[in-house]
Amino acid sequence: MNPVNEPLTDFERNARVLLEESVSRIDGRTRSRLNQARHAALEAAAAPRRAWRWRSYTLMPAAGVAAALLVTLVLFNREPSVESPVLEGQHAVEDMDLLADSEGLELMDGWDGPFYEWASTENEGNVASDG
Amino acid sequence: MCEFATLESPYSMPVALHGDLDLDLTDPEAQTRSRALNQFLAGVELKAFKIAQAALRHEDDALDAVQDAMLQLARAYAGRPPQEWKPLFYRILENRIRDMQRRRTVRGRVMAWLPVRGEDEGEEPDPIAQAPSPDPQPARRLELEQAMTALERSLGGLPRRQRQAFLLRTLEGMDVAQTALAMGCSEGSVKTHYFRALRALRAELGDFHL
Repeated sequence: MNPVNEPLTDFERNARVLLEESVSRIDGRTRSRLNQARHAALEAAAAPRRAWRWRSYTLMPAAGVAAALLVTLVLFNREPSVESPVLEGQHAVEDMDLLADSEGLELMDGWDGPFYEWASTENEGNVASDG
Repeated sequence: MCEFATLESPYSMPVALHGDLDLDLTDPEAQTRSRALNQFLAGVELKAFKIAQAALRHEDDALDAVQDAMLQLARAYAGRPPQEWKPLFYRILENRIRDMQRRRTVRGRVMAWLPVRGEDEGEEPDPIAQAPSPDPQPARRLELEQAMTALERSLGGLPRRQRQAFLLRTLEGMDVAQTALAMGCSEGSVKTHYFRALRALRAELGDFHL
């Protein structure tokens, strides 16, 4: 076996000469691109990422706590649904009927919002005075 | 077990895992380090390109691999002692080459289903490349050219680890210990790969004389 750290044989020396020759023949365009790549790498290493990382790591626990509080508030303040899933299903069927009903759509064409609001308040007033 | 054996793929590791190693160029020490890094990269970039080209056999891919290795070294390992840069750089480069070869294998499988189109199809011959050479020793140049082509072709046919050991030792001039660090294996393995590479190249090229 040829010990790697011993002096090179003729074959190895010749191979080295050839390889170094091929390196010296690398064209200008490739050299220029390697040069650009090197400068890009050095610039990237010098880019101010540290401050950004410091801020992001510092804010991360605070953001986590805020998100957890928000989720807790939403869950506790949400009104429980009084309707069973079966009833909700019935409403869905009714909605489908309304949508499929062509008369309903015609009614929507002549929608008179203020009138119905007035009629609704009148009705509520009558109920209250009756009570 | 070598020092970098645990860094299985430094290329694919997130930068944050390596700690804060960014170079702050307002700091004089960082400026010195940046200059040293620039000098180091300038010293290895051409050989690294040749090594990548021998493995990938594609100029643009080789350039991409070297560029990625430079970037990774500068970002993640600039803070390490400069004597560690070379084995680290070649370790990163080799990982990058391997990633690209894997991707190419997958791409090749996909492309096998598509209609074949020649790479040079429709391209005009380059008149500058075809012009006669002004070299005063065209015969010698041709001889070197042919020997180089034969060597590069034979290198391309070697198994990956053998080619890596041979090029790191012969072209980059790294010793066994550095080569072992760069290859992520033991010094004994380096010797074995190198010996097998030599034997294979000799069998194919003979004792070529220059």
